[in-house]
Amino acid sequence: MKKIVALLLALTLVLCSVSAVVAEAAEPVKLTFWTFQDLHINLYQAMLDKWNADPARTPLEIDFQPYPFEDMHTMLNMAIDAGEGLPDIVDIEIGKFANYLGDNIVLAPMNEYVEPIADHLVMARLNNYAKDGKYYGIDHHIGATVMFYNAKLLEDAGIDYTAIQTWDDFHEAGKVFLEKTGKPMITFETTDCWSLYPMVNQHGGDWLTADNQVRMDEEVVINTMKFMQEMLNDGTAIPTPGGMSHMEEYYGWMDQGGCAAICMPFWYLDRFVNFMPDLAGCMKIAPMPTWADGGHKSAQMGGTGTAVIASSPNVELAKEFVAYVGLTVDGCITTWKTCGYDPILKDVYGTPEMQETNKFFEFYGQDLFAVLQTVLDDIPDTCLTAYYPAATDIVKSQMAYRLIELKEDPETIAKECAEELRGQIE
Amino acid sequence: MAKNRINARKRGMLSVLATLLMILFAIFAMIPFAFMFMSSLKPGTEMMRFGLTLKYDPEVSSFANYAALNTYNDGIYWSWYRSSAIIMVLQTVLGLFFSSIVGYGLAMYEFKGRNLIMSLILILMMLPFEILLLPMYRMMTAAKLINNYIGVVIPYLVPPFMVFFFRQYCQGIPRELLEAGRIDGCTDYGIFYRIMLPILIPAFGAMTILSCMNSWNNLMWPMIVLRDNKLHTIPIGMGCTITPYKSAYDVLMPGAVMAVVPIIVIYLCAQKTFITGLTSGSVKG
Amino acid sequence: MQKKITAGIHRRKLHGLTDPRVVPYVLVTPFLIFFAVVYLYPLISTIIMSFQKISSGRNTTFIGFKNYARLNTRDFWMALQTTGRYAVWDVIVLTIVPLLIATVLNSGLAKGTNFFKSLFFIPSLTSIIVAGIVFRLAFGTLETATANRVLTFFGMEPVKWLSYAGPANFVLILLTLWRWNGVNIVYYLSGLQSIPKDQYEAAQIDGANAIQSFLHVTLPGLKPVLIYVITITVLGGFSMFTESVALWQQKNGGGVGRTIVGYMYMVGFDRNDFGMASAIGIVLLLLVLVVNLIQLILMGFFKKEDQ
Repeated sequence: MKKIVALLLALTLVLCSVSAVVAEAAEPVKLTFWTFQDLHINLYQAMLDKWNADPARTPLEIDFQPYPFEDMHTMLNMAIDAGEGLPDIVDIEIGKFANYLGDNIVLAPMNEYVEPIADHLVMARLNNYAKDGKYYGIDHHIGATVMFYNAKLLEDAGIDYTAIQTWDDFHEAGKVFLEKTGKPMITFETTDCWSLYPMVNQHGGDWLTADNQVRMDEEVVINTMKFMQEMLNDGTAIPTPGGMSHMEEYYGWMDQGGCAAICMPFWYLDRFVNFMPDLAGCMKIAPMPTWADGGHKSAQMGGTGTAVIASSPNVELAKEFVAYVGLTVDGCITTWKTCGYDPILKDVYGTPEMQETNKFFEFYGQDLFAVLQTVLDDIPDTCLTAYYPAATDIVKSQMAYRLIELKEDPETIAKECAEELRGQIE
Repeated sequence: MAKNRINARKRGMLSVLATLLMILFAIFAMIPFAFMFMSSLKPGTEMMRFGLTLKYDPEVSSFANYAALNTYNDGIYWSWYRSSAIIMVLQTVLGLFFSSIVGYGLAMYEFKGRNLIMSLILILMMLPFEILLLPMYRMMTAAKLINNYIGVVIPYLVPPFMVFFFRQYCQGIPRELLEAGRIDGCTDYGIFYRIMLPILIPAFGAMTILSCMNSWNNLMWPMIVLRDNKLHTIPIGMGCTITPYKSAYDVLMPGAVMAVVPIIVIYLCAQKTFITGLTSGSVKG
Repeated sequence: MQKKITAGIHRRKLHGLTDPRVVPYVLVTPFLIFFAVVYLYPLISTIIMSFQKISSGRNTTFIGFKNYARLNTRDFWMALQTTGRYAVWDVIVLTIVPLLIATVLNSGLAKGTNFFKSLFFIPSLTSIIVAGIVFRLAFGTLETATANRVLTFFGMEPVKWLSYAGPANFVLILLTLWRWNGVNIVYYLSGLQSIPKDQYEAAQIDGANAIQSFLHVTLPGLKPVLIYVITITVLGGFSMFTESVALWQQKNGGGVGRTIVGYMYMVGFDRNDFGMASAIGIVLLLLVLVVNLIQLILMGFFKKEDQ
């Protein structure tokens, strides 16, 4: 009898301890993730599955909360203000990131994941999300700006896009193209900054310095604007139909062969595939034309920093996961495959997985990364201080519009905009 | 007799003109809706390529988008629907109740502070809600009313524009009715309930529609208050489909079409009160 | 007998909440509570914030009128101009057009009155995002845009609608008319239907024609509703925001279509500068107050009402 009881007791103990272990292992940690990017959800979901499949990792469950783009930042501000209701992981758009790097930083630094591999990363990207040597946000793309050419249209007009090296070459080609086809070479945005800013930044200019000195009226900016205006004046460039390159009107017009080129960051690949299907096989990317008087090979534009909230109860786990998605080879390859982004880890660009056929390679019919790799070593920093949002607002609503639509004098515009920006800075 | 015939003909002509005018405006009103419906039948890329068109292209048109809407994100569209409906009912019922009482009181009685309150209401009507956003949010957080429907409805309990409307409308009610009721031995509340309410039915009809419409299309405040995906309303959910990065017109169009249906139903029901409940029964006799 | 009844009534009347002198206060109480909680406290907060510099979280510093001084930017004045231009046209178009349509509908001249009534209302129920897409495409910058095709058909030059202030205003007003026509018609109709038919008959007997009876019977009878419609239209005009967001697809309303509220949104939510945003809000409030007060005084709102 005693033996049976002892056996039962032992069995019970074993069962308890086993179930305890099992119970512990089965309790996934829950994280909330706020984002406005559908693509990020796909990416993180894919990586989450891989993470959970690994028995060595703590199981995670992520509650993805998508919000409309601008409103999400409003929600974040309100949550920070109230001190509660914050998520664990949040996507913050590059232009707004500086707002969260003021006196009261609620984000957790991720130096322990960034610093060991700093040589392998395009640090210029991460610098956008850093302050005082601490890296607060991981971006999933470089956003390297390239020139998208409608190679077929150009070929029909007898122009070889690979021969274009400098902006002057580009302008000349534009004149030939205009003569042969009556169409403009390129469009410049009037209500957004994606035409003006990349060109200025690539040329070596910027709107602000790190200590908030305004650079908007420097020579380099004015010269860039003057060049753009030359192209506008002779019809080789026109204001973007619809105002910016994310409008339905532009997509339809470009799809029907409205012009030959557009200068956009790498992530614009996706737009052609989704919204301009008739251009399959016609579009090619190439490095941006260079400036004769110096400058860089490219510029990094746009972006979203995925950050972890420092007050999160699972901050270490959240950081580990974000690093897993954004700073590992596997994560970066998955980034390319799901989002069509140019990942920040330079190591991935030689690997065979990146060369696998997907809808992007099919559409563009070229080795996209061969082009990208030629510019990766010369990408300037962009200066994102607390007044960057104010600067961008002025660019979008005044600088771009007055230069490209109203065709006013570049020097006047630059000086007035700079003055207005100075007035906003204290 | 001849005069009557000329009048009849004139009237006939005017009738035709009037009907034509109405048709013109009706077309103007309906075209965007027709476009929305036609686009909901096509894949999103079609709209990009061809822009604004009402062409029916049998090759690409189908109800596939509607089926996709049903399964989009595990059928989340229907929880948006439910949220929007609950909030709309709450907001409308409570709003009508409070506004009618207050508006009636302001119109029918003379009392100290009446003009002050009226001026207040006017001023409040002129306040854009956006400027009160941050303090309101802090208050709701402190009261732990975030992430539930009550928090959404509170700023809309006694909408100034509704109070104003009821007040204006009640000014058309003769004071004699009140006196008559009192002589009959009713309390003033009883008078309101038994005599005034029936007279106010057209006003209730108009305000029901307005309140339903405002609440159904309201984006900003519900989005700030409601955190959970499952509690989101339709405008929030659909707002998420259009971003600068990717626009899911495939979901937006059928979503928008489906979202109009209940409001139209409510409207058709409420507008019957315009026909009934007219100015019968005024004291003049 | 009479005396007893009267005495009884008097006694009952003087009881607490049913006393006719107290009743109005009871009726109005919900509003007073609501006002204090939902409006007064936040409004005072906003006024205070407009004099502060607010950095992230709750750090506030008092900076006096500096926020107001910083309003002197080109963006602000443009927004003000856009808003003013829009508000004027808004009031003109959206008071008159629905009134005319409502009168026609009410007169029963057109066939299918109820059908049209419902039809006109549907636009206000439709998602503004979608409406924005439609109008944006119809009034695009290209020659092939619908509106431009109409223009060229009549031999006129195509217009880059949303790129310039004047044409943009036209599109905004058209969008507003499309959206709110039905709503104002509803208001007018409910007012028109409260005018007793015998007044019209009396006018006809007196020999008035249609226009005269409109001016002397309809308009006066409609006065309370008219005041209401004009007031909310003025407000709507000055605080217009959603329509410009829908057309330019930028969350703060874009380019030439940016209104005061759009500018406030831009400063408050893009730049996180809630101090300056509050200052803009207060400016807008004062502006609307002044305009509406003038309007109300002109329309004799504050005179004693008599039937």
